[in-house]
Amino acid sequence: MKTAVANEHEQGWDFERAAMPYVDSLYNTAYRMTRNSEDAEDLVQETYLKAYKYYDKFEEGTNFKAWLFKIMKNTFINNYRKKKLTPHKIDFSEIEESYERVIQKNAPDLIKDPETEIFQDMMDEDVKRALDSLPHDYKMVVLLADIEGFSYKEIAEILDCPVGTVMSRLYRGRKMLERTLLEYARKYGYIRGEAEPAKMRSRKDEAKPRKKKDGAGDEPEAQEPEENEEAVLFTGTEDEEFEFEVEETEEEQFEVE
Amino acid sequence: MICREVKRVVYFFLDGSLGPNKKQDFDKHLKLCPDCDARTKLHERLRAFLKRRVTNLSSAAPDHLKTRLTRSIRAFRNEWSAR
Ligand SMILES: [Zn+2]
Repeated sequence: MKTAVANEHEQGWDFERAAMPYVDSLYNTAYRMTRNSEDAEDLVQETYLKAYKYYDKFEEGTNFKAWLFKIMKNTFINNYRKKKLTPHKIDFSEIEESYERVIQKNAPDLIKDPETEIFQDMMDEDVKRALDSLPHDYKMVVLLADIEGFSYKEIAEILDCPVGTVMSRLYRGRKMLERTLLEYARKYGYIRGEAEPAKMRSRKDEAKPRKKKDGAGDEPEAQEPEENEEAVLFTGTEDEEFEFEVEETEEEQFEVE
Repeated sequence: MICREVKRVVYFFLDGSLGPNKKQDFDKHLKLCPDCDARTKLHERLRAFLKRRVTNLSSAAPDHLKTRLTRSIRAFRNEWSAR
């Protein structure tokens, strides 16, 4: 029969074996959250200590990596909520509109040669800057989904929010990020030239910002389905679903589409 | 499915999370609509680009951090077992 101390030891080694393989993933995500290596290291250390402390609470058979990420996200919120990031204002109709502008201007060249790597020459600095231009919550879902490969459900679990919120943030985060990449690409000459309107037909009607209530008369059939889709895809508003937000003001913006 | 809806769900299509009927509608639309087809491919490439580049940007956690983690976990463990 083992003593409590021996059990403790065993569990410790077990934890190290289980947790250390994820240190790179956690560190890189921590770095993107805090944007500096010192804070990132502290965040990872705190995460590991907490995870170790609560290791017996981890449910066997669930995703251990997601569990670690969840602890890290909670730690981050607790530590940094007070410091408060600069609140971002997001005008989503503006995003949709400018996305359309950008894609019409820039995409035809990209679409012409699908074999070449896009923005091959884009500098790391610009990739980093584009990522950092995303508001924190949007950056998180994009990183968790597109870099770390978590499923919607796992991300919802990590971030303590409904799957619908994950999906709507992903939609918008990806869109904002693509727009920024395309803008940089053009600005810094990674892609060339004005678009030829012939290749990508004008999408004037679709590029319009979301309707204002007083303009109710125009284009009724184009707008109607969009509202329905929104309802189907993104159930619930973000506001009510989040108890601890890093940037509350941003959440308020969400409603204003 | 109309172009507008394709734009709404394109990321979820690429994530493989559309239901079978929606996915079929989506595929059908792409066959008929070169614009949406091109845009879908562009989204796909942008995502691949991002993944590749961000992964390249990522670095291994520094060795001193790993040492620090191991050390602090063990210190914590000893503290615990001493209690
Ligand atoms: Zn179409």
